[in-house]
Amino acid sequence: MYPFNLRKLKDLLFLVITGILSLLMIIPLLHIIFTVFVEGIGVIIRVGPIFVTGTLSDGGIGPAIAGTFILTFLASIIGIPIAFAVGVYAYEYPDSIIGRATTALLEIMLEFPTILVGLFVTQIIVIPMGTYSAIAGAFSLAIILMPYVAVYTKEAMSQIPFTFREAAFGLGISKIKTVFLIIAPIAKRGILTGLLISIAKVAGETAPLLFTAGGLYQSYPQGITNPVGAIPLLIYTLVQSPSPSDHAMAWGASLVLLLIFLGVFIPLRLSIKEVKL
Amino acid sequence: MEVKTKKIAAIVTIAIVAAIIAIAIWPHSEEVTIRTTGATFPQYQVQKWINEYQKIKSSVKIEYEGGGSGHGQEAFLQGLTQIGRTDPPVTEEVWNKFEKTGDRPLQFPEVVGAVVVSYNVPGITHLNLSQNTLVGIFIGDIEYWNDPRIAQDNPGINLPHQQIIVVHRSDASGTTDIFTTYLSLINSTWADEVGAGKTVEWPVDKMGRGLAGNGNPGVVAILKQTEYSICYTELSFAINENLPTAALENKDGYFVKPTDNTIKEAVSKVSSNIPVPEEGYKEDLKQLLNAPGNDSYPIVAFTHMLVWKNINGKHYSHDEAIAIKEFLKWVLTDGQKPENLAPGYVGLPEDVANIGLEAVNSIEVP
Repeated sequence: MYPFNLRKLKDLLFLVITGILSLLMIIPLLHIIFTVFVEGIGVIIRVGPIFVTGTLSDGGIGPAIAGTFILTFLASIIGIPIAFAVGVYAYEYPDSIIGRATTALLEIMLEFPTILVGLFVTQIIVIPMGTYSAIAGAFSLAIILMPYVAVYTKEAMSQIPFTFREAAFGLGISKIKTVFLIIAPIAKRGILTGLLISIAKVAGETAPLLFTAGGLYQSYPQGITNPVGAIPLLIYTLVQSPSPSDHAMAWGASLVLLLIFLGVFIPLRLSIKEVKL
Repeated sequence: MEVKTKKIAAIVTIAIVAAIIAIAIWPHSEEVTIRTTGATFPQYQVQKWINEYQKIKSSVKIEYEGGGSGHGQEAFLQGLTQIGRTDPPVTEEVWNKFEKTGDRPLQFPEVVGAVVVSYNVPGITHLNLSQNTLVGIFIGDIEYWNDPRIAQDNPGINLPHQQIIVVHRSDASGTTDIFTTYLSLINSTWADEVGAGKTVEWPVDKMGRGLAGNGNPGVVAILKQTEYSICYTELSFAINENLPTAALENKDGYFVKPTDNTIKEAVSKVSSNIPVPEEGYKEDLKQLLNAPGNDSYPIVAFTHMLVWKNINGKHYSHDEAIAIKEFLKWVLTDGQKPENLAPGYVGLPEDVANIGLEAVNSIEVP
């Protein structure tokens, strides 16, 4: 009856509060991106293209960029196939003992301190090999990547209505074909998002690489059994220095890392079309 | 859209795979890579040495790796690094582990710095702290800046009636170890009640006047934001951040500010206490602090390198051994010259540098 009643007021209040809270949540993110741009762009302009191609002595972070790509790529080819299979298994047999154990383990692994992963890999790979290596770094990143991929795969597939499975079985399609050729393609947006998030996460990891990859900044990587560097690892080292020029370089490296992340993430995320059900 | 995406994905994948394969099978060049791992206290200096050395010898690549003194010793033991770096001298227990590899470790000082006391009190640019006043502030007995004990050290200076905020490290740190060892050395109350170590229970925390920062950068950031605070940090940070440093009372009762001269003076006074490289574990931090003399700064900080004698080529190949010897020889001679030193680090007096040179000369080339 009244044009301005209590229910409408409550509704408005709710909208305003959620709006403010969402904004508060986004502000730190925007602030990070803004600060990294402002602080990082100066050093990159000053040093020029050498910054992304040169070695540390030349004032560049080229070997670290190469290292990050190598580590991320190796970690993906080690981790994604296994994790995808695990995710499918957890989706297919959610009530079996192994299925339940897998789900529980995945949730634990998601929260596992990454530095411990690094120490574990140091003990089983680095010390027996007698050297830091790209493969050891990639292996610890793969361990961190796997639970994300598996959980996202399982969750994405669980969202697909059961009727699709029934229809597939009704047509006499085998279980394996149903999962891989029908359910997985329908759920691809969720699965690929999971892949991207986990790849982005490991590309920015520092702790698991501390005692495994070793670091290589004066020359480009030579083979996967030799040490490599990584951008986050280099940033971590540079910020501990008292030198302002090292700090400037760390900001520049942060901007490069951010650009790589945005450059890979945004186009891929936008191009993955949702399958309309 | 669908086809385009797949095309892009395929191209990107092929490019990345090609790049990885190219790197993996790239012909290994003639370059020798030497790795040095451990203590972060000399980071700025070691990176400066690497940059300078790379200019005169581009065929040898020196890789800096941090991780702290503990990691440096462990990586050195496991053969993951060629040159270990450690701030505190290696303990006898770890030394024995080194010896068990069948090779002989060598430990020698590479450069010195100092732990300094810095403060943020508006209007005050010079501060004297006697030994008892220093302990009094950090143990919490002295609560206000205008305490008579501080005033007595600083006649004629107008001190404010403001609470003193003590900033210390939150992480385990060699800097804390050196500073608290010094406080224990000069004051038995501190030794009994707080003690020395990489982390200690700071009495000021319980009084609500303590703040903790992560790493030297964290401590310095808090000091700059907090008026009427005081902290301990490394000289290189104080210089780079333009922080004032307090003149500390030394063993003979003189107030000494940390400078190149006063640090060098202190090092000369204690150099006879540095053991030969083959017996590095005999070094005792306490014997290197609180040096006597009227111009010796009391809290000098040594940082060490670890190399193998390389008996029967146990750890280094022919090329590596030559590269290590040449690099370290340069570090201990030209590297100690002012133009190759980073701000906040002090070159070794010649007699101390010679301890290291002797060790470097004894490395065997297979």
